[in-house]
Amino acid sequence: MEEFNLQGKVAIVTGDGRAWSKHIALALAEAGADVVLAARNQKGIEETAQEVRQLGRRAMAIPTDVTKSTEIQKMVERAIAEFAKIDILVNGAELQFAKPFLEVSEEEWKRVIETNLTSVFLCSKAVGKHMMEQKKGRIINIASGLALRGVANSAAYCASMGGILQFTKALALEWARENIRVNSIGPGWFSEEGVSEEEGQKDPLLRYIPLKRRGRPADIGSLVVYLASDASEYVTGQIFVVDGGLIAHA
Amino acid sequence: MVLEKLSLEGKVAIVTGGGSGLGKAMCLAMARAGADVVAAARRVELIEETAAEVRELGRRALAIPTDVTDSRQVNQMVERALSELGRIDILVNNAGIVRGDVPRPIWDISDDDWRLGIDTNLSGAFYCSRAVAPHLVAQKSGKVINVASGWGLRGGRHNYMYCCAKGGVIQLTRSLALSLAGDNVQVNAIAPGLFATAALETPEMREFFAERGRFIPVGRIGSPDEIGPLAVFLASSASDYITAEVFIIDGGGLAGGYAPTGYAPVIPIKED
Repeated sequence: MEEFNLQGKVAIVTGDGRAWSKHIALALAEAGADVVLAARNQKGIEETAQEVRQLGRRAMAIPTDVTKSTEIQKMVERAIAEFAKIDILVNGAELQFAKPFLEVSEEEWKRVIETNLTSVFLCSKAVGKHMMEQKKGRIINIASGLALRGVANSAAYCASMGGILQFTKALALEWARENIRVNSIGPGWFSEEGVSEEEGQKDPLLRYIPLKRRGRPADIGSLVVYLASDASEYVTGQIFVVDGGLIAHA
Repeated sequence: MVLEKLSLEGKVAIVTGGGSGLGKAMCLAMARAGADVVAAARRVELIEETAAEVRELGRRALAIPTDVTDSRQVNQMVERALSELGRIDILVNNAGIVRGDVPRPIWDISDDDWRLGIDTNLSGAFYCSRAVAPHLVAQKSGKVINVASGWGLRGGRHNYMYCCAKGGVIQLTRSLALSLAGDNVQVNAIAPGLFATAALETPEMREFFAERGRFIPVGRIGSPDEIGPLAVFLASSASDYITAEVFIIDGGGLAGGYAPTGYAPVIPIKED
């Protein structure tokens, strides 16, 4: 389908906390995009950049703390100096965190909110400026099914994810006429890398997931491509949940 | 590779209401992605035209005149699709009527109006799902796509049959998805906002709806060909871990709605 093609487009993908920022980058590259990887984990993003190049696309790995605006600014400037423009921003940075509420320190609360939510604000601001100039752009925020539902011990995490969803809606409205689309994806329970088949079978959550398996990073990639491409021109301000049917009965 | 997952090569799709508007656009998009297509609707000349366009794309096509409010006709349509094309992989429940060309207060809505609205928009989707589901379960793979509406998620003044039926379509989506999940059948809904469809083909209506575009965040109504890629995505293996979900495609309408489109207050933080 021609509409899904990302040839000639440049994407920034942030985040190394979740295995799928790598898979998102590779899905975008498979669809034709050049990719900039921005995260603190230099080794991880270098490796992903190498894999993107093996797909015949250009790639840059720029070590960045996405909670620091000066680092983000430099990253965006370097990306533009190298690739001349940015068409797609995928905000994928995430800090997972769960703890009984009264034990959550103010420090921990701040780290969760900063990594998960403030990073979305800072990166969207730095990249959005260029998207406004070119009057075209796509921002895709990776939130969670926990933007819509709650889980015990997760007040900070849920607040950050709910924040991403509301950020998505408000910014989508503000930039709707600038031809910038802002959407989010809400993954359900996904596999951690390195979990063995046997351990996976003992997973207490499996019984609860209608499709009877945890999600895999590749399950997100194709949706990111849809939302990054011209195929979704009329879609903005939404969250798309990828959770094997979980939220329908939750 | 990610783009190859979107291929529908070798699959057979049934699209109700496939003679016009969004239904026709989804038929053609799925044919371009490789699927053979059954277009089912009441108006035979329209589905014949869709079928002819599908064949021009090099795919097999059947036009089966069907009134989806009549479960016997639905069952016959599914039988014929199976016997002539050999299988069914995708069902798109798209047939619907807006009804209420003149919005009426509730006390002026007749039993017949209510029934026709509910039967076409909701019961039709139920009948088609009931007829197709056993085949999808037997082959342990399949996709059902229900076309709901933004009106299934928000209320509308003097808008009863459509809002209730489309809300019902969303609940049908969720329950069917949960029921068939163990058999590798995924069921999702598309909730379109305002689109330029066949009902809008007169110049006056076109002008009216272009004007309505001003009230949509992106500044225009949708064009039917914009729904095609989403239908292909949901019909393909690219969406295998997505089920029971509602895909809203509405130019930003449902993201807002709490204030008029374009309302953008500026309120600085007041220092004490």
